[in-house]
Amino acid sequence: MKLRKAVVTAASPAESHLPLQTLVDPEGMSRPALEILLDDLFAAGLEEAAVVICPGTRDAYLRAAGPHGERLTLIEQAEPRGYGHAVWMARNFTADDPFVLLVGDHLFQSRRETSCVAQLLAVAATHTGCVSGVQPTHESQLHLYGTIGGRRVPASPSIIEVANMVEKPTPTLAEQELFVSGLRAGNYYCFFGIHALTPAVMERLDRQVAALSEGETLGLTPTLAELARSEKYLAVEIDGQRFNIGERYGLLRAQLSLALAGPHRDEILTMLIETTANSRA
Amino acid sequence: MSSSSSSSKSRLVGIITTGDPSRRDTDLAEVCRELDAGGLLAECAELDAFRRDAENLYERVRALFFLYAIHRFHLPPKLPAGKVGRIPFAAYEYLLRRRFAEAIDGFLEAVAAEGPGDALSSALASAYHELAFQTLADQVRRSVRTVRGNQWMFRMGHPADHPLKMRREMLEPGAGGHPVLRERTPVRMDLSHSGWSDIFFLGMDYPEGARVLNVSVDLGVHGRDQETKPPVEAYLRVIDEPVIVLHSVDLKATARIDNLGEVFDFAKDYLGLLKAAVIAAGIVPPGIEGSGKRLERLLERLVGKGRGIELVSSVNDIPKGSRLAVSTNLLAALIGVLMRATGQTRSLTGPLEESERRLVLARAILGEWIGGSGGGWQDSGGVWPGIKLITGETAGEDDPEFGISRGRLMPSHHVFDENEIPDSARRALQDSLVLVHGGMAQNVGPILEMVTEKYLLRSGKEWSGRQEALELLEELIDALKRGDIRTLGRATMRNFRGPIQTIIPWATNLFTETLIARAEERFGDDFWGFWMLGGMSGGGMGFIFAPQRKAEAQEAMQEIMSEAKSRLQYALPFAMDPVVYDFAINPDGTTADLRHDGHAALPAGYHRLTAPQGGDSEEGKGESGGNGSLAGMLEAHGFDSKLHEQIRADLRAGRIGLAQNRLSPATVIEDVRAEDVMDVSSPEAAARHDLEEAERIGAAALGAGEVAVVSLAAGAGSRWTGGAGTCKALNPFAPIDGAYRTFIETHLAKSRRIGRRFGAPLPHLFTTSYLTTGPTQAFLESVGNYGYEGPLVVSPGRSVGLRMVPTERDLRFAWEEMPQQVLDEQQQKVRDSGRAALIHWAKSAGEASDYTDNLPLQCLHPVGHFFEVPNLILNGTLRGLLEDRPQLRTLLLHNIDTLGADADPVLLGLHRRSGHGLTYEVITRRLEDRGGGLARVDGRPRLVEGLAMPDEECEFALSYYNSLTTWIDLDHFLGMCGLTREQILSDDEAAVTAGLRGLAERLPTYITIKDVKKRWGHGQEDVFPVTQFEKLWGDLSLLPEARAGYFVVPRLRGQQLKDPAQLDGWLRDGSADHVSSLCEWK
Repeated sequence: MKLRKAVVTAASPAESHLPLQTLVDPEGMSRPALEILLDDLFAAGLEEAAVVICPGTRDAYLRAAGPHGERLTLIEQAEPRGYGHAVWMARNFTADDPFVLLVGDHLFQSRRETSCVAQLLAVAATHTGCVSGVQPTHESQLHLYGTIGGRRVPASPSIIEVANMVEKPTPTLAEQELFVSGLRAGNYYCFFGIHALTPAVMERLDRQVAALSEGETLGLTPTLAELARSEKYLAVEIDGQRFNIGERYGLLRAQLSLALAGPHRDEILTMLIETTANSRA
Repeated sequence: MSSSSSSSKSRLVGIITTGDPSRRDTDLAEVCRELDAGGLLAECAELDAFRRDAENLYERVRALFFLYAIHRFHLPPKLPAGKVGRIPFAAYEYLLRRRFAEAIDGFLEAVAAEGPGDALSSALASAYHELAFQTLADQVRRSVRTVRGNQWMFRMGHPADHPLKMRREMLEPGAGGHPVLRERTPVRMDLSHSGWSDIFFLGMDYPEGARVLNVSVDLGVHGRDQETKPPVEAYLRVIDEPVIVLHSVDLKATARIDNLGEVFDFAKDYLGLLKAAVIAAGIVPPGIEGSGKRLERLLERLVGKGRGIELVSSVNDIPKGSRLAVSTNLLAALIGVLMRATGQTRSLTGPLEESERRLVLARAILGEWIGGSGGGWQDSGGVWPGIKLITGETAGEDDPEFGISRGRLMPSHHVFDENEIPDSARRALQDSLVLVHGGMAQNVGPILEMVTEKYLLRSGKEWSGRQEALELLEELIDALKRGDIRTLGRATMRNFRGPIQTIIPWATNLFTETLIARAEERFGDDFWGFWMLGGMSGGGMGFIFAPQRKAEAQEAMQEIMSEAKSRLQYALPFAMDPVVYDFAINPDGTTADLRHDGHAALPAGYHRLTAPQGGDSEEGKGESGGNGSLAGMLEAHGFDSKLHEQIRADLRAGRIGLAQNRLSPATVIEDVRAEDVMDVSSPEAAARHDLEEAERIGAAALGAGEVAVVSLAAGAGSRWTGGAGTCKALNPFAPIDGAYRTFIETHLAKSRRIGRRFGAPLPHLFTTSYLTTGPTQAFLESVGNYGYEGPLVVSPGRSVGLRMVPTERDLRFAWEEMPQQVLDEQQQKVRDSGRAALIHWAKSAGEASDYTDNLPLQCLHPVGHFFEVPNLILNGTLRGLLEDRPQLRTLLLHNIDTLGADADPVLLGLHRRSGHGLTYEVITRRLEDRGGGLARVDGRPRLVEGLAMPDEECEFALSYYNSLTTWIDLDHFLGMCGLTREQILSDDEAAVTAGLRGLAERLPTYITIKDVKKRWGHGQEDVFPVTQFEKLWGDLSLLPEARAGYFVVPRLRGQQLKDPAQLDGWLRDGSADHVSSLCEWK
């Protein structure tokens, strides 16, 4: 599957400001989170991207996109109706093409030379169906993420053929249905926040949105789970870190990670030690 | 799955490891019959070596059961009789501490050093038996923990890692506070009677044989409730306080828990089941026990800051012991409601999905283990709808049991749909079945152990019985599908009469048999069959009638049960009055609804419990007879208030107590020498005495009417009924020669035989107490004295004590200083928690205060069997006997449970010839014979009570155990009291009183702790430890003028039946046959 397009969701009113936050990149340049995210996407070979935003934020997003503004489509979601609905808003943008999906309130930091998105695309290139990035997550965090279960592909142990997928499972359910061999006890593969999806996802979302009643919201995981039951669906363990910049100290952790990945690493470490030594207990 | 030892030449190891089912199911007894003692010992050595290396759990366990059975049943009769053996105390201590492997090694070393013997075999049998059950329990525990969905709870050790969140719907505030989630669950009936095949161990050993037809039912008490409904209810809501509040509406108990430790303190109050549910549902996961973390922090993660939960249980006052698995289904309901609320099931309301039911089952099994109870997997059947077949499953590669046991812990459920069992058939079952609770309270635990042992041994007739029960199950299913309830009734009856009683004769009892006989008499062909529910009969039971007579039968069964209970209430342990149920098959299984009317959604009993004036968990509990009636009874039975106050003062001052019962540590206690006893325990030993002459002397005395038998029947048999306060003498303990026999009948049958043999009816006296006099007299009258030809006299008690609340010092001594069997880990935790609660009770009730918070009869106690012979004198019984039989010279006195004792002419002659004043009968010791024995104390032979042993180890150096059976030279005994028979005949009251008091004062007074049951509510029972005092008959041997002598008699003559759990072995090891050979029943 060859991918050209990416969709970033940032439509939740409470979190719409997050991609607009400014961070210092590994080179020491101050840049909005959105720009850093789009850097990754286009560096991995994607050609255009859409961001689903909430009304009234268009100008701010365009500014935050920096040099990527020309390749960016902004789509407004009138009211928040769930993650699945936000993705569905990009259906005209994706048309009949497969696409990469990212959450806008996260930053992704690879531990390798290749970025997290590039790792996902490498697997997607060998497969015609959907691929989700995943990472081992302790069971105490399961209430925050979609979680998968399945069998590892024998020749590529970091790739899992997904058998089941549940949004925010309890560990009770996870133990029964979301087991993957080779993980430490109490750990499961949870979504990393990036997916390579086929047009079939939009088709299914189309049907589900049509059936939505007033005030009802639509998640994405049930649609992906449905797809996983009907066709071969892969997950790949991403060798990297994700930072939810919306959670407490999430932005700080993301910033530290970016700073420590660049030439100013020693300076940052020295600063951290000095700050620690001089801080009030 | 054979694991090892293919090189073994042992035939028994071959049976265990073979892949051929027909050989694997070979009966052990069949092989043992062909082997002599040497052959059996060789097999034991091979089996012991095999079980040490066997990797397969069930092969190991089977080897352990083989070893147990060989040492318990097959080897002792083939060893030389009369061999005295010593059990090494150090190995015994290992046994108590559950270090079974070391205990076995210690006993085996002793066998190697001293040679095999009865005593060491009894110790080895016990150790192998315990190790087998421990191995099985360990495996169940491992399986429960490794069931997927349960594992995470054992990993979670910190509140910050708590992965569950209360569902949003539970947190929405409404007008009446947070919503209430209500789970309603039916109970279950076992239509097939499973042949106990659903016991976890058995399903895992032989999954093909674990098959159960299980029906979910709604209940109501006939005549009390307007309608049937799911009897089990659990309610849950969020509260604005960071605590867990638990309420049991039926037990009228409430707990407000604000720390983690208390959640795990199961026996502190009546809320252990609710606590087990909170743990097993993952609210407070088991992994966090002992972490020292704060409950408030955990609740903050789970429900939100400043919030907690309130959990309420109700079983609609369905009495305990219904055999409908009310407790397990309540546990499942509580777990269900908690799991729903925390998103562990997809369904918040309505019925559960199949995968969710299975998870609730796994958690209920976990909860039972946490709560220290056992059971079978069918007990949570109420979670499923309608009628289902539950079957054991072979372990597959993905199961944690694979390679360890043949079967999985978790069974499969097939719910019959309407095509398989039509509505009309279900209605027909409802229209014919009368469901009852007979009111009996019994401990099913020993029965479950017996079944496990017999199945794993593949004991011949029991194994055939099991196969027959499996065939009957198919017949039952077929009859049910056709709606042919008459055939179904006949099949359940055949099941009860055939396989069930073949496997466990103790599944029935005189009460049940009486009910069946009366139903047959009254309804003739319209009584279609009896149906045993659960582990044993007497509690929950089913009677199947022609539908047109069901209404009449409901009324009739109530009448029949009440009448039978009234007749047998002193003979059998009843916890409550019998009831008849109304019932209906429940089509939904467990269901839940979410109610927003807050307080109003909770059950009526909840409001009574939490109303300001209510909520006292102790209020209204128990049958308190009032002090007026207690005072009256004390006066009527010769209560000595002065002595009582003296004992109280001494107890409080620490002058007497359990520790003070013991002889001084400086006392030298040694085993007796050969010359101290006369050994007639084996033909070889007896041949050393002139038995022919002795028999002539004995026969002449019996023929001349010079002998009378005294059976001590004053006691309540504390161990026999766990403190239920019935008359042990009247207990129809076992079927012998085709009928249930009471202890009294058995003793009379022996005396009848002796009387007829020597041509002179033997006078038989039963000494009784305040507790047993009236019931014994009434019972004997009701059975026409069993047609006994000789004089039969009931001697009323003349002394009574008032029980006291124990001192903390004595409780701690009994539980912490005295050696006792440590229990399996979780059971021990529950026991420790219960004991802490009882110590708290003793301190708050007042140490050494009068124990009056119970029925008056349960507050009194007999003052020891020493007084029973003096009572014969005080109450005029002896005078009457002497007037009638002036030639009377010898009394044979024995305990009510020494079933092998009779007026044997040889022993009588030996006693006469010896010139002893008192001749006590002793037996060689086995492991279970605890409580003193025959010893040389500072160089003089005498009997020493276990209570008086300076330390536990002393007893293990003694060869002989005291059976208490005593041949009494009457004139000599009177002489010890300073009395003559003329004074007895002339009723010289002053001399008699002074003489007996003088004798009593020379004997030690012991303080003992006994268990007493307090009944309350609907079949509920609490057991309290109480203090009482006693003087014991064996202590007469310490008086030099008693001229005491000792006979070593065969074990079959001297052994005692103290506990119903002994019955099965008693029936199997030849004891029952021996007793039968001594009796003439008519």
